[in-house]
Amino acid sequence: MFLNKMNYYFHQASLNLFVNSWSWWAAGLGIGLTALTLAWFMGKRLGVTGGFAEACSLVTGSASSSHWRIWFLVGLPLGGLVATIGQWNWTLTYGGLDALTYGVSWIKALWLFFSGIMIGFGARWAGGCTSGNSIMGVALGSKMSILATIAFMAAGVIVMNILFKVVL
Amino acid sequence: MAIARKKSKTTRKSIEVVLVKKRKKISTALSLGSIVVFILFGFFFGYFLSKARATDYDAIRDMFLAKEFQLYGVIGMAILVVAAGLFLTHRFKKPTLSGKALDWETLKFEPNRLIGALLFGAGWALAGSCPGTVITQLGEGKIFAVFTILGIFTGVWAFQKWQPKDSNNSTC
Repeated sequence: MFLNKMNYYFHQASLNLFVNSWSWWAAGLGIGLTALTLAWFMGKRLGVTGGFAEACSLVTGSASSSHWRIWFLVGLPLGGLVATIGQWNWTLTYGGLDALTYGVSWIKALWLFFSGIMIGFGARWAGGCTSGNSIMGVALGSKMSILATIAFMAAGVIVMNILFKVVL
Repeated sequence: MAIARKKSKTTRKSIEVVLVKKRKKISTALSLGSIVVFILFGFFFGYFLSKARATDYDAIRDMFLAKEFQLYGVIGMAILVVAAGLFLTHRFKKPTLSGKALDWETLKFEPNRLIGALLFGAGWALAGSCPGTVITQLGEGKIFAVFTILGIFTGVWAFQKWQPKDSNNSTC
């Protein structure tokens, strides 16, 4: 009886750790605490696009300060791997985007590549992406970051509504 | 005489180059321990992004179509935690455990940056991912994330070519 119960709880815990997604408050708490401890323990300011820029400057050979953000980027896929390892497999699907690109691989690849250019160029121009501007910038009360976040959301809402209510 | 002066100039230049290179080496050196710690921070960030479903195209779609509260809640909660934590650090003037004061400069307001922000928002909706989540997707086995990552590198590189002296290094 006791063992049965223990087994049940163990099963639930491993499901939640390695398969299931979490409610918004639990995941948000985790993301917030990661950013906060990064500031407290390491004195660093979270920013993912900066990592892309550092990796870029490594290749082109221009100067940059310490490359801690690149190592931060190295950790990201490991986290994604462990979070889904209970049902992990390689996949060519991409959720709702498959329907938008008629299931044709090269259209999907080009679509993602050109959206990627917009993301990279726009994030550098805006001075940060979702992590640097929307989380750290807004939490620091920066006017630029708050306005940038409003612009992110406005453009996202408009484009997504065009895609799924007009095009599809 | 003129030749000699030229020579000395060039040697001085080469000495300066060597010095700059040496300085760079010192500043870029991270200890093995801190590298492991930064990878661990990345690990947890990616783990929670995945748990938040921020790496799921459909979750991003439903956020922008206002069908689902999930990701608005995640971003809001993260901002709240960071803001509260940083407020307490400043309020009680506690030094952080790294020994450094958290006196980051925030970005100066420039209307031009909003064009970039709109561009980013449109790309976010088109690809259904932002720079952090797309790398995490690689770990989840979503192979097509590679193309978005290549695009982001191209975009970042193009921006550096266009605005090499942009001063946003402090933020992101």
